[in-house]
Amino acid sequence: MQAQTLQKIEALFEKYPQKRGALLPAIYLVQAEKGHVDSDAARELAELFELQPVDVWEVLTFYNMFYTAPQGRHHVYVCTNLPCSLRGARSLLKGIESHLGVHCGQTTADGRITLGHEECLGSCGTAPMMRVDGEYVENLDLVEAKRVIDGLD
Amino acid sequence: MVTITIDGKEYEVAERRTILQAIDDLGLLMTEVDIPHYCFHPKLAVDGSCRLCQVEVEGLPKLQIACDTPVRDGMIVKTANQRVKDARKGVMELLLINHPLDCPICDQAGECKLQDYSFDYGIESARTQEPRRPAKKNADLGPTIVFDQERCILCRRCVRFCREVPKTGELGVFHRGDESVLELFPGTQLDNPYSMNVADICPVGALTTKDFRFKIRVWFLDDQESVCDQCSNGCNIYASRSNNKVYRYLPRRNDAVNDTWICDHGRMSYKQILENRLTEPGIKGQRDVGYRDAIQEAGRLIREARTSSRRIVGVASPYASNEDLFTFRKLLEALGAGPGTFAVQRGEADDVLIKAEKAPNANGARALGFEESYESVGAADVAIVLGHTTTAEYFRDVANLILIDTHVSSLMDQAAVVLPARVTAEKEGTFTNHANRVQRFLPVVEPKFEAWSDGDLLQQIASASGLGGWDSMYSVHEISKELTESIAAFADLQLGSLDDQGRELS
Amino acid sequence: MIIVPYVTGYLSEHYADDDFRTLSAYKAKGGFEGLKKALAMEPEEVVEIMKSAGLRGRGGAGFNAGMKWSFMPKDTDRPKVLVCNGDESEPGSFKDRLIMERGPLQILEGILIAAWAVGASKAFIYIRGEYKEPIRCLEAAVKELYGARLCGENVMGKKGFNIDIVVHSGAGAYICGEETGLLESLEGKKGQPRKKPPFPAQFGAFGLPTTVNNIETFAHAPYILDRGVDWFRGFGTEKSPGTTLYGVSGHVERPGLFELPLGTPLREVIGHAGGVRGGRRLKGVIPGGMSMPILTPNDIDVPMADEFLSERGTHLGTGGVMVMDETTCMVRVACVVSYFFRDESCGQCTQCREGTGWINKICERIEQGRGTQQDMKLLEDVPAMMEGQTICAFADAAAWPIQGLMRHFRDDFEAHIREHKCPYPESFEL
Repeated sequence: MQAQTLQKIEALFEKYPQKRGALLPAIYLVQAEKGHVDSDAARELAELFELQPVDVWEVLTFYNMFYTAPQGRHHVYVCTNLPCSLRGARSLLKGIESHLGVHCGQTTADGRITLGHEECLGSCGTAPMMRVDGEYVENLDLVEAKRVIDGLD
Repeated sequence: MVTITIDGKEYEVAERRTILQAIDDLGLLMTEVDIPHYCFHPKLAVDGSCRLCQVEVEGLPKLQIACDTPVRDGMIVKTANQRVKDARKGVMELLLINHPLDCPICDQAGECKLQDYSFDYGIESARTQEPRRPAKKNADLGPTIVFDQERCILCRRCVRFCREVPKTGELGVFHRGDESVLELFPGTQLDNPYSMNVADICPVGALTTKDFRFKIRVWFLDDQESVCDQCSNGCNIYASRSNNKVYRYLPRRNDAVNDTWICDHGRMSYKQILENRLTEPGIKGQRDVGYRDAIQEAGRLIREARTSSRRIVGVASPYASNEDLFTFRKLLEALGAGPGTFAVQRGEADDVLIKAEKAPNANGARALGFEESYESVGAADVAIVLGHTTTAEYFRDVANLILIDTHVSSLMDQAAVVLPARVTAEKEGTFTNHANRVQRFLPVVEPKFEAWSDGDLLQQIASASGLGGWDSMYSVHEISKELTESIAAFADLQLGSLDDQGRELS
Repeated sequence: MIIVPYVTGYLSEHYADDDFRTLSAYKAKGGFEGLKKALAMEPEEVVEIMKSAGLRGRGGAGFNAGMKWSFMPKDTDRPKVLVCNGDESEPGSFKDRLIMERGPLQILEGILIAAWAVGASKAFIYIRGEYKEPIRCLEAAVKELYGARLCGENVMGKKGFNIDIVVHSGAGAYICGEETGLLESLEGKKGQPRKKPPFPAQFGAFGLPTTVNNIETFAHAPYILDRGVDWFRGFGTEKSPGTTLYGVSGHVERPGLFELPLGTPLREVIGHAGGVRGGRRLKGVIPGGMSMPILTPNDIDVPMADEFLSERGTHLGTGGVMVMDETTCMVRVACVVSYFFRDESCGQCTQCREGTGWINKICERIEQGRGTQQDMKLLEDVPAMMEGQTICAFADAAAWPIQGLMRHFRDDFEAHIREHKCPYPESFEL
């Protein structure tokens, strides 16, 4: 990992009564640098946190927002939980799937977009919705969804 | 101490223990008190996730897991009512929905807790129609262990073992929910000096040792109590045998010595019973001599040395039992040869089980007056040597070497007489471990060729050399009696009175 | 952008005002008066006031917040920790997000009051990782507090009242909303709930005495301290005082959040959302987030407070009201619900790990018209095997909604089995 990332991680340690508390934020920092956290990066983190690599890997694979494999340039996640599904989220997702030519869980051939679905994102009053590169796009229909997705580089 | 009542019967148990720990302390878990369990292991941190050990505790509305519920004075526990039975049945049914029913081809069959508990507490027929979760078959985890992921019930005993005992932490449970899988960190192996213990503690057939896998069905085996002789820790083991052959060593629990573990090296040492054995007696390099001839020749050499007052020395082995060593001591005294010496090989040690002294009974030799020496024995006419760890160099100036040994060695070429001896698994006796704990081992197999214990051979040689009072048949129990009566440190440590946990020298 | 409620109460009355998120505007609207009053009292008095106010935790379990504060050990040298649970992940719940985005200083003031009351020197605000905007809002507000010396050392000039506040981001796991799952996650581990006892007040975050409260719970505290117990008890019911932000979603005309006194009848809550969409008939309502069993149109007048809902076999939970109209296939609902719990089970306990997956497979089989009568039996038995037998309440949360659907909409399941297909052509798509 880059010296800058390392510095940022080390600055986190003092916020927590135990170093390990900074592990989740540290993983975010590594992921921001590399796009995902592979086994080599996990080893580096383990060393830094004085853990076994397996401890880091357990954490990485437990949480949805961490990636151990390369991802598309952009993430598009459609919420498919009940409040969104009641308002057409599954149809919306199918529309996006055919628009992008990939199934949910896949990345477009050009590596542009990874499409996924997610559990409730707390946007039930503005359903259906999707999360694009971390930001919420709410009160969605397929036309709007396509417009947003097509605007991604 | 507090008193708890389990199914109407009162037990005095230690405070600050959980129900399962307290019952395990009394040695009654699954012998008198049946509380089935998977994730609980007496020597690992409590996990509390398999939920099979649920019991009813009076005054508490929900069922409680016995592995993690602390005992309280006056606590009333019920382990066999309908509610508990239903809960167990539920857990068993749920564990089986993703577990293959491949017992006929599974090597764990016969010693599988899933099989046993299904029979005792489970359901008769499966209600699942769904395919099992896809998982790895026959995955290589490293030099010693094979993993059938589909059989894993995620009790995490192996995960905790690697973290807590060798502290190597190779294994983890990745992902979550019903996608949780036991795995290694990518690109690594399960490779530590204690790796094979994971196969013992795996309650199902998910983790098996490459060495034992598919060798024999376990119901053809019976287990004999023994003690590992690969270092001075003296780990307690079971030797599993069938048809006069040892198929594996398993750890035998002794909380004062090895808890429930053994090291991989010790476990694999059963192979030494058959490999590279010294099978034939010899006289001056000649191999086709008879057993009696070799004994007679040894007797003759000693007799001649005595007649002409030439020097006789004795070199003991830290592999020999206390009883063998006592016989040797007696013989050396009778010959007026002065105290014998011994040498012990040293190597790597750790803070788990493995000790630096790579033999089981150096402390026994010390307690019996043998002197530790790593020098040449000097000029002598006869050296009586219990082989195994000595080198040819020590006997440069010895005219006649009488070698009693278990395995082929470089000393043989130098020896005037060679006599094949029995290994630990072929005899009965005791070892004194690094902490001066005297532990007994029982005969597991008979040698496939004529061989006798060191003590037996020494007695036969003594008789052949014309010493008075050595003509009776050798009996290890007689020797043990004599040993415990004549050496104060060994008082009360007679073979017949030692239990399977051993006792310290006084 | 979250939609600001147009039915407001003391909590949300200034949410339309962007400036309410800044210290000056917040203070101008009476902010930090509650803290000022609290600091004039002994910590024990603050705890007593909170206890008698009867504020019930707004994270789902509804436990008296003051009572929870009183569990913190008094005679200890160990540093004490407050944790604010902003992991809002209960499907149908989106109120905490609103509070974080529109009233972050209300939460922080509540945290400061609690810190004074329980003697905490460290506070963590654990916010689910997907809530980027709430995280930004809280981080900005915390920064402003430090600048104004409203946290850090000697807060508001009170010597020895030191409190550090850290905003911590989760990483996508529903189970981290469970109190001890959250603590594990905060410690940098998998969010697998802990066995209890020990409870967090004895052994919480990093092994220190800890109190965990929900975002909304903290946000109410300043008003209770500022305006008094009697004023607070003027809202809501005897057993459930105060207002809450009901989140109405699903088949209604205008989904959204509505701040109403606890105990407001369900009919009125749904009425604020414009009623069932398109004039259709109501089929079912999940009253308090997805873990809670469903209600039928017969229950439309139930007062929305836990003591009344529990009489009907369900709970207020987080007050997330999910409305389903007559087109809704309840087997599809069961599929969505069971998939969620399958996806989010932490995987520790046997019953939960295996049971959630099995239930989901059975529901999907029935929905696809391949179900049998044995599956009906299984949908009764499997949730029963899970309920009340695991480390945390997640397995209960996974079992209850299925039991509720089976109790009230058994016909829907039977029809799928009988007709070998879904009899609701207009239902939402799966």
